[in-house]
Amino acid sequence: MKQLNIKINGKQFHLMVKEHEMLSTVIREKAGLTGTKIGCEQGSCGACTVLINNEAVLSCISPALRYENAEITTIEALAKDGVLHKLQKKFVEKGAIQCGFCTPGMVLTALSLTPSLNLEDGMEVLTRQVKEGLSGNLCRCTGYKKVIDAVVEYAIESSESIEEDVEPLSSSVAVGVSRPYIEAEKKVKGAAEYADDIVMKNTLHCKLLRSKYPHAKIVEIDTSEALKLDGVHYIATGKELPITFGVLPISQDETAMAVDKVRYVGEVVAAVAADSEGIAGEACKLIKITYKQLQPFLNIDESLNDVGENERIHDTGKFNNNIHKKAELRFGDQQKGLTEADVTTKMSFEFLGINHGFTEPHAATAFWDENGLTITTATQVPHYLHRALAKVMEVPLSRVRVIKPYLGGGFGGKSDPFPHEMIVSHLARKTGRPVRVRLSREEVFITNHGRHPSKMSVEMGVSLNGEFKALDADIAIDGGAYGSFGVVTSYYNGVLLQAPYKLDNFGFRAFRVNTNKPQCGAMRGHGAVNSRFAVESIIDDLAMKINIDPCKLRLQNFLTSNTQTVGQYRITSNGSREALLKVMEQSEWDKKIGTLESGHGLGVACGFFISGSALPIIWNELPQSVVHLKLDFDGRVLVTSGSSDIGQGSDTMLAIIVAEVLGISMDKIFVLAADTLLTPVDFGSYSSRVTFMAGNAAKDAAENLKKEIIEAIVKAKGVDAEELSFSDSRVFSFDKAVDLSWMETVDILTAKRGAVSVSGKYISPKLGGDFKGAGAGLSPSYTFGACIAEVKVDIETGQVKVMNVWGAHDCGKAINPMAVEGQLEGSWHMGVGQAISEQMKYYKGLLLNNNFLDYKIPTSLDTPDIHANIIETIDPEGPFGAKEAGEGAIHPVIPAIANAVFNAVGVRITKLPINAEDVLAQIRDHQISNNK
Amino acid sequence: MLTEQGYIKAKSVEEAFVNANNHLDGFRYVAGGTDVIVNKFQGNEDAQILIDISGIEELKHIKIKEDYIEIGALTKLDDLKKHNIISDRFPSLIEAAEAVASPVIRKTATIGGNILCENRCTFYNQSEWWRSAAGYCLKCNGDICIATGGKNNCLSKFVSDTAIVLISIDAKIEVSDHQQTSIIPIESIYSGDGVNSRNLSKTALLKSILISNTEEYQTIYKKLRQRETIDFGSLMTAVSLNNEKVKIVLGGVDPKPIVVEGNIEDDLNELILQATKKARTVDNDVYSRKYRKEMIAVFLKRSLQELKLM
Repeated sequence: MKQLNIKINGKQFHLMVKEHEMLSTVIREKAGLTGTKIGCEQGSCGACTVLINNEAVLSCISPALRYENAEITTIEALAKDGVLHKLQKKFVEKGAIQCGFCTPGMVLTALSLTPSLNLEDGMEVLTRQVKEGLSGNLCRCTGYKKVIDAVVEYAIESSESIEEDVEPLSSSVAVGVSRPYIEAEKKVKGAAEYADDIVMKNTLHCKLLRSKYPHAKIVEIDTSEALKLDGVHYIATGKELPITFGVLPISQDETAMAVDKVRYVGEVVAAVAADSEGIAGEACKLIKITYKQLQPFLNIDESLNDVGENERIHDTGKFNNNIHKKAELRFGDQQKGLTEADVTTKMSFEFLGINHGFTEPHAATAFWDENGLTITTATQVPHYLHRALAKVMEVPLSRVRVIKPYLGGGFGGKSDPFPHEMIVSHLARKTGRPVRVRLSREEVFITNHGRHPSKMSVEMGVSLNGEFKALDADIAIDGGAYGSFGVVTSYYNGVLLQAPYKLDNFGFRAFRVNTNKPQCGAMRGHGAVNSRFAVESIIDDLAMKINIDPCKLRLQNFLTSNTQTVGQYRITSNGSREALLKVMEQSEWDKKIGTLESGHGLGVACGFFISGSALPIIWNELPQSVVHLKLDFDGRVLVTSGSSDIGQGSDTMLAIIVAEVLGISMDKIFVLAADTLLTPVDFGSYSSRVTFMAGNAAKDAAENLKKEIIEAIVKAKGVDAEELSFSDSRVFSFDKAVDLSWMETVDILTAKRGAVSVSGKYISPKLGGDFKGAGAGLSPSYTFGACIAEVKVDIETGQVKVMNVWGAHDCGKAINPMAVEGQLEGSWHMGVGQAISEQMKYYKGLLLNNNFLDYKIPTSLDTPDIHANIIETIDPEGPFGAKEAGEGAIHPVIPAIANAVFNAVGVRITKLPINAEDVLAQIRDHQISNNK
Repeated sequence: MLTEQGYIKAKSVEEAFVNANNHLDGFRYVAGGTDVIVNKFQGNEDAQILIDISGIEELKHIKIKEDYIEIGALTKLDDLKKHNIISDRFPSLIEAAEAVASPVIRKTATIGGNILCENRCTFYNQSEWWRSAAGYCLKCNGDICIATGGKNNCLSKFVSDTAIVLISIDAKIEVSDHQQTSIIPIESIYSGDGVNSRNLSKTALLKSILISNTEEYQTIYKKLRQRETIDFGSLMTAVSLNNEKVKIVLGGVDPKPIVVEGNIEDDLNELILQATKKARTVDNDVYSRKYRKEMIAVFLKRSLQELKLM
């Protein structure tokens, strides 16, 4: 240890630091300034950026001792005397903050960048410079658009020294008005606490020992040497926690640590609780495990086959193979439909797996006290984790409390109960002390639960006049070692193809296999992203064959509003047509298509998704969502909800809905969410359900509170209930005989009664058919959308550059338009990643690209110009007409890019990501066949 | 076990040498450290004593002399473009410097560090845990090359962006090893062995880069990578024209820079072929060996066309 004298945010520190300690840990752990985030531990994501003598520095790869006597500025120092820095204000105002995890680094990088910006050469040059300057800071939520807008505006305004204070939104019109997230200031100041920022006293640190083999029996685990290490408190192994869990009741196939055998490289085998992370890590190295290797199964084909003499991955299932689930549904007569079709296309596709790439690694702290277990963890689904912990820890549900702090992005990747959450809970019980864990980026990647690698063969038929006759899909998906959401994924791959087009003859068969790789699960656009790609590519081909414009072919086949699909999905609001027409107009499709030079192309595709799963994951009769409101003497409405804000803005959505119903301003609302002790059950942030379901529950609750208020005023003032209006934080009768301020209203309500609490709920209507599998993909409402992409293809290198994405998404009604745009831009950014660069590559079951340098998330420079359009169709059952916006938008963008590549160079992409080598090879084949 | 670590900040070249000699069995110089530290996290760099040379002021200069320009090895990549003479005379050097990593990294990373940056390979740049699970490769004291499935020499790829441009403009470097200082062509320090990729003694310090101030070069630099930033190159090319001399330099496709020299009168396609043949490219990158090999010709033709030689 050495003494480091360093000034951080103007305060002099004299710290003892380890010789090779990084500046980031000194700032976070010794100075306690947790606004500086750790996302990748290798300088590839920018979340750890701080300023040293006003220059941006990546603190996670900077040795602390280098900075003796240096002056460090972290995000916490930017706001002065409680007033945000102008750049921070811009981030808030522009909606540049979603999950907020990349925000501190992004803000500081932008701040150091602005003095060097050239403002003289116009917006295009300025924007390019900002994109370049921010290109080392990864953001997974925003698609960078609003971040870039914020920085550009700040740069211009600070050069012109404009003092423009944006008026706070005071009007009580809440729904439909763009506004920053209610917690945006906290995030931009670096004050929001994420799971790894929360430090409890007397905490032990956990490190996990992971398997180095993809498939092997555990013969012996010897922890004796590790236990001798000073500072080690407990070492847990699989046999201590034998109870299985999993997010779905039908695939509870995972244990906290491997019990008898390991099923993927990276599976946890033992866990150490020690005084420090370093000691725990050293102890892991001293644990000796003897394995007996088994034949691994590493791809779909191997796992579909009979295993012969070899051992299966799981010994469940009737057959001697590694098939986990077969899902099949058929409606109408596909063979007949294909025979009747004038033209058919059948194509095979292959998709590599992809990872969510959220910027905040998993982290959790657990402890036990007189109230049982409390765990604070980065989760999208506190409720399902609550259930899983009670099961695995063998305690009543009433002895488990799950708290979700601020969460740095999920996208489905934090929607399962995870082994590390079970493990720290167990270690905390065994040691009687709080135990914390944080995963490295490599561990996050091998924990995975990302999009399933898939192979599929899809056939469609069309009549010469452009009527779709049949769709048949044969699908196999690679689930990895465990179940996760896989049974649902298997169905979604098929069932979500029955719209947005009218199809009378539709069917699919999907197999999910287990392989000896990290498990796959739910990821944005769950289940249907890959199969949607296949269908939209085939439609593009059919349009060519029957010589109809691909947009017009789609327009001709859309389902209408208020109809039913062949598989008995009830379609209510449907903005397919408006969405497609909007992007056609905006992209000037009609003018451009067919006129672009070789190498330059436009492509189109459409999408369809659920707006919340109508059925709960675990069958029970709880409502999908319950929201409580409490109004006390101070006039503030406390909203409590179990829903998880994961950066998508759901807390703000709840506040807006309550404000709208009660006609009060947002500052009279306080949201407390995602704490299973304090908040009523909501099933969580998955299946794009929160706005629709928690939003409806909030609306119901607010209406119930309104009834209570009306009743009290009617009684006190003798006015007719129908006479009363709620607006501008006042309650008044039409003739103003009654005209009460909000506080007067609250006084009347609480007189002789005190605080009033009400509850609201959302229960899905009974939907769907009564055949087996009818429940898959049922939703009280569905969303629709369209994208047109523009690409340039270098015909000598095969490199594809996405230039523009014009997208439109039918979200029913945008409760907060700025937040909806943010979701759409983020979806399209993520889709561009899957289209052109992201893939999980394995070597003998080991993930090769397990970091942010090698896993290629598009940077600000790789993300095209995105043009977002919100389509509002006012859903009859959504809160104020709203539907989902977080997931469905991703579906059309990927096939639109591939169809644009076809338009540019005549190459049909059937494999993702689009690989320059494949494109080049096919360009050559295409040229050869054209020359013949 | 947790072993004794040290962090020494050298204020002068002399101090760096003295400390290096005091810790000969386990030290490493660190300039910007943006690669060294990551390699250290991954267990590929195990020096217990880090000698931080980033504070040595005498290596941060840029001097314009009559016949050459001298760039101190600790000049930050981001600072190169701020120097008008360099950005006017050698725009391709700026391009190459700006192609390194990300903007924030370039504020820390130095040109010397970039020239000496460790070779890379998909199977080597992995965590200690990963490499132990995969089986250690030649470059981390193992017995087998995973990339080639058993070859007995390591062909990890050379990845310096700035070095290939500097080689194309015949830059030299000043290397000092205690009492001895020598001025040598940059390319002479690269061994071609993927394990020990540089011919420099462990204690040697790269002090400065010398570029001719009298010769006129036109250079075209190109880089193949998946993203427009952050990524190391899968192929980098620099093609320079100086009077009638053409110099082709490749990076990212061999353990050392590939250099092919010729004259504008030569069959330039032949030069391209030579360069392609010389590259000992293996499947150790995000792009395949075959594709990178193919792209050499595409990049070189384009560069020669931009130089109006084709």
